[in-house]
Amino acid sequence: MCSIGEDDFGDEGATHAMLPGSSATGTVLSAGSCSKCNLASDELYKLNFRAAECQLCFLSYARHKFRAALGAAKALPRSAEVLLLVDGSGASLVLLDMLHFAQTQNTFKRLHCNARVLYIDACGNDSLSSLHKLHERYAPFEFYVIQLNAEPKSLQSLKEYSASIVNATQQELRSLTARQDYGLQQRKRLIGAVAAHLQCSHVFESSISSTLATQLLTSVALGRGGSVALDVALLDDRLQDDIKLLRPLKDLNEQEVQFYVHAQQLQPFTSENELDQSSAASLQNLTSAFVANLQINYASTVSTIFRTGDKIAAKQQTNVDPTTTCTLCHSVLDHQLSDTLLAIEYSRAVSEMGVALQQHDNMEALEQRARQRLTAAQDLCHACRNIQAELTSGNIP
Amino acid sequence: MPIDCKAKCGNKAALKRPKTGDALCKDCFFAAFEAEIHHTIVSSRLFRRGEKVAVAASGGKDSTVLAHVMKLLNERHDYGLDLVLLSIDEGITGYRDDSLETVKQNRDDYQMPLKILSYEELYGWTMDRIVAQIGRSNNCTFCGVFRRQALDRGAKLLGVDSIATGHNADDIAETVLMNILRGDTARLRRCTNIRTGGGEDSIPRVKPLKYSYEKEIVMYAHYKRLVYFSTECVFAPNAYRGHARAFLKDLEKVRPSVIMDIIYSGEQLRFKDTAKKPVRGICERCGFVSSQQPCKACVLLEGLNRGLPKLGIGKKSKGDRMIAQQNQELALRERANLVKNDF
Repeated sequence: MCSIGEDDFGDEGATHAMLPGSSATGTVLSAGSCSKCNLASDELYKLNFRAAECQLCFLSYARHKFRAALGAAKALPRSAEVLLLVDGSGASLVLLDMLHFAQTQNTFKRLHCNARVLYIDACGNDSLSSLHKLHERYAPFEFYVIQLNAEPKSLQSLKEYSASIVNATQQELRSLTARQDYGLQQRKRLIGAVAAHLQCSHVFESSISSTLATQLLTSVALGRGGSVALDVALLDDRLQDDIKLLRPLKDLNEQEVQFYVHAQQLQPFTSENELDQSSAASLQNLTSAFVANLQINYASTVSTIFRTGDKIAAKQQTNVDPTTTCTLCHSVLDHQLSDTLLAIEYSRAVSEMGVALQQHDNMEALEQRARQRLTAAQDLCHACRNIQAELTSGNIP
Repeated sequence: MPIDCKAKCGNKAALKRPKTGDALCKDCFFAAFEAEIHHTIVSSRLFRRGEKVAVAASGGKDSTVLAHVMKLLNERHDYGLDLVLLSIDEGITGYRDDSLETVKQNRDDYQMPLKILSYEELYGWTMDRIVAQIGRSNNCTFCGVFRRQALDRGAKLLGVDSIATGHNADDIAETVLMNILRGDTARLRRCTNIRTGGGEDSIPRVKPLKYSYEKEIVMYAHYKRLVYFSTECVFAPNAYRGHARAFLKDLEKVRPSVIMDIIYSGEQLRFKDTAKKPVRGICERCGFVSSQQPCKACVLLEGLNRGLPKLGIGKKSKGDRMIAQQNQELALRERANLVKNDF
């Protein structure tokens, strides 16, 4: 049957079709003269929708995006204590390099903040040598390492760090989707705790536009529509103790990161794919595969998704009362009953009745039962309730 | 080993409900499926007693199940509705002519009056002729834009109070994803609404199957042995929806509840004041609901009649230039004729 509905038409007419076309990835360089400063250069950096430019012009363009993201939103107060997350991906090294550069400029252009670097050790210590090299290169920065699932107080500086066995009680969750979602929330909680421990008021995360596009779709698929704005915004204030999470690279794309890595000879030691941990099917892995495929075949669609995220507004928290936020992800709870959530519970209720519905169809009693189930776990948001439902035993701590 | 029906009716389960994961026997599934739609209709106050409601019928599974369930619930719960079937004949040989036979079968089975409106009588063009003009690209634009308006025209003609469409939960989740993929915040705001339109000048459209899974609709139609038409349209499918659909199907395999979760997410989204808002007005030419002047249907029709079928495809400025150029050429020709006549 025809599947085209009235939503398929935009104001410009035409059933929208996705335009095939890939943005060049990888470093494609040639020699020539820079179209910006007119100087001859061995390497010209040609980005989509930009004229070819020399290395210095490209670097100042990319660094400007970073500074502009922070500056335009006035998101970073002077002399703030910043915790920078490095995970070994290209983007995180770019952020480290940019922040280091911003600190070494003359007084007028200098970014006034005190930065520390945090690496979360998830898979043993085979990346320690790379970290030591980074420590040498970006000398004044202090580097800290903590193991995933460890207590915040077990934080060590890189010089003294040795991996120990963490006996954290892993929650038993049935599906990979729930495990990954729970893992992400736990990671955020750990970052917040470490930042508080180091008395940092701000945390820098190295998400770029394509990772945020993936995050947007993932959050929507997980039922986190109410809080998705903060998942992809420049400033996320859901960490503990009023610590702000900032994403200053959000306007950079993959190609710019690759060029920057090449220009500054950075050596990423984990790829984005490895961070996904597993190739098995979960909503998160399927979504990142979907976006990766779009990136190859319909690159402009990825930036459209990212820009959609820019238009979504965060729900205003009326006060800082902790009872209005989810105990796991700290998003604002939606206390108004949703018809959609009620419909799910109503489905469960009628499934239990079956043919008996025909004899005594008491819609009000069934709806009452559905409402009771819906209001059972009041302190969790819908998506975190989904995690809770997949626990084999106990409650989310 | 066969599993017992979750409703403890004593029967063995015949199916597993994709929506809740419950194993049910056929009869319990029918009862649950119908009770849910009844609940949606009542709790969302979709209809009022005494109203005349047009069921948009294409002959496909969704509209067939909708017509069947609407008739059944109207009688069982005494809604007091006057139900009619409304079909649009786009004029696609080998597709719509066959599916209309199914709709006629529904009319006889459910004893509901049927009104068929054709593109031919409304616009003077059939889809077959439009495709002959424009080719296989962009043809769905004509079909979809004309159908949207044709339903409004049909509803006005029948004097109904609302139009019930067969959009199911999968369709709505798909639309949420599609609108994110193309950054259409105006439609993202309203695509999860169970009722759209319905101002002073338009007839509201409602989606009683909003919370029904496509798989359950297929199961219901299959076990109830309803007659429906399931052939794909002979013309090309749509790219954005196709991508969103394939993605959603993959997600659904991993976690079936994802469909409802996406609808929920779509409902929870709030937009910045700077984001585009939907504007609904009335087309000055034809008087039907439109967000622009003139409405898309009028522009497309003008393009067909002027011999410029690409007029409504793409940017408005481009269309304006095409019209200006054609007017200029016509004026030139007219002047040439005048000169000739002078002799």
